[in-house]
Amino acid sequence: MTDAPVKLSVADLTKRFGSLEVLQNITTEIRNGEFISIVGPSGCGKTTFLRIIGGLEQASGGEAHLDGRRIEGPGADRGFVFQQDNLLPWRDILANTEIGPEINGALSPEQRRNTLRLLKLVGLEGFEHYYPRQLSGGMRQRVNLARALAVDPALLLMDEPFSALDAQTREIMQTELLRVWEEGRKTVLFVTHQIDEAVYLSYRIFVFARRPGRINEIIDVDLPRPRPLSIKRTPRFVEYVDHIWKLIEEDVRVSVLEEHAG
Amino acid sequence: MTQPDAFSVPGAASREKSFATSLCDFFYQRRWSWGSVFTGLAVWEFVSRVIVGSKLFLAAPTQVLVALFELTVSGELEKHILTSTLEFLVGYSVACVLGVGLGFIMASSKAGKQSLQPWVSGLYATPTVALAPLFILWFGIGILSKVVVVAVLVVFPVTINTETGLRTTPTQLVETVRAFGANARQIFFKVSLPSALPFIFAGLRLGIGRGLIGVVVAELFGARAGLGQMISQAAETFNMPNLFAGVTVLAVAGIAMTSGFTWLEQKLLPWRE
Ligand SMILES: Nc1ncnc2c1ncn2[C@@H]1O[C@H](COP(=O)(O)OP(=O)(O)O)[C@@H](O)[C@H]1O
Ligand SMILES: [Mg+2]
Repeated sequence: MTDAPVKLSVADLTKRFGSLEVLQNITTEIRNGEFISIVGPSGCGKTTFLRIIGGLEQASGGEAHLDGRRIEGPGADRGFVFQQDNLLPWRDILANTEIGPEINGALSPEQRRNTLRLLKLVGLEGFEHYYPRQLSGGMRQRVNLARALAVDPALLLMDEPFSALDAQTREIMQTELLRVWEEGRKTVLFVTHQIDEAVYLSYRIFVFARRPGRINEIIDVDLPRPRPLSIKRTPRFVEYVDHIWKLIEEDVRVSVLEEHAG
Repeated sequence: MTQPDAFSVPGAASREKSFATSLCDFFYQRRWSWGSVFTGLAVWEFVSRVIVGSKLFLAAPTQVLVALFELTVSGELEKHILTSTLEFLVGYSVACVLGVGLGFIMASSKAGKQSLQPWVSGLYATPTVALAPLFILWFGIGILSKVVVVAVLVVFPVTINTETGLRTTPTQLVETVRAFGANARQIFFKVSLPSALPFIFAGLRLGIGRGLIGVVVAELFGARAGLGQMISQAAETFNMPNLFAGVTVLAVAGIAMTSGFTWLEQKLLPWRE
């Protein structure tokens, strides 16, 4: 993995909202095909970081390059999987999945075959003409994922995509995500607040600290692949989770207290 | 879905059954509505024939039926219906196009919103139908003045609903297509407009009732033909059966258009609950 070419490079990235410094001097490199998770207490700027990489937000300072090109706005070289599924209620599943290619003028019979293949990949074959309201939360998140993959992005950005699902569905979705990822080996930036989810999925984990948001530590997850769910009960796995939890425990405590104090 | 009422058409589900069975079902399922309607008509018949006893003050349902028949045979009713329909359709269509356009301007520009808002709110709340005599003075007793009255009455609910619909487009949905690189035009046609359609439809449905009132009132104040003119003429000659015949036609038209609209909405917006 360390010899793969650099996909995303971030240099001195800083973000301020008024006087609030949300991200401070983020510098990192992500290699092609890596699965990176970002964990950290709420409010540490994880979403903001992802939105800047996605081009939905302007950085206040520093820059990010994807495949050597400077990121200046949104584009079809990135696929965003949002926390809420954000499916368009008036479009059926097929039309929702194809919105990215449609916007970029890339609809074709070939694209249609690819879209159908993706829907099959995420286990939604036969649901192409259902409307979003007819699907369960887990199924809608699969569409959300297929939609992001439909533009064949160089980088997949996922912001707590499973946080709204119940615990069992979430575990299933984690294995499904790994299966989908194994197939295409996309580069993934995955934000989560579930530490075990991060350990289970990732090559590397960026542990963020807050006020201002910054990378506190980078953890290499040295667990074999493919990973069955049972790996979550092995001592090595639990050690990783404990270690990361210790890193952010104090921060989480403070952020929870702040939230309760209003 | 609203509760089925006495006037809605039986659904597709009953299509497989025999016609007679489904007809029986249709009446049985709505037995209280039918009972209520027939009781009302019977009371009306009784009151007008026995208690009032004079066609100069009240016409019985059967007398209204006879009047409807005679007016149809003489060709008079068709003439009036044609005139009113034309006035309604032209005024209503103009108002729809104008209302959606104004709503769009108000939703997409701050200057547009601020300069139009006082007029729209003010004129929507004003019973502008009272200005009908003025429009007749300006535009004559022909069709044009009625078209204007209908348009003025219908345009505001359409404007307000279009604006609300466009303005309440969920920002996450806009953000989602923006993340795929959508430009302003694509955001409008792929997100804002479809998300506003249910609101726009609601405005158009509100407009039906207001438009009908507009046609009739404008015709009452002066016209050569039309249902309003027929009603006003009947009133002047104390011809109650003809007066009620006119009102009945209007009621049926209102009900038919509103339920037709609901049906169209379900066809065009099948994704809604
Ligand atoms: N558009 C914005 N305007 C002002 N402050 C914002 C905005 N977006 C996020 N913030 C603030 O930035 C901080 C980080 O937010 P966010 O990136 O959502 O954190 P996380 O995703 O890690 O929970 C929070 O304190 C939040 O209130
Ligand atoms: Mg967040």
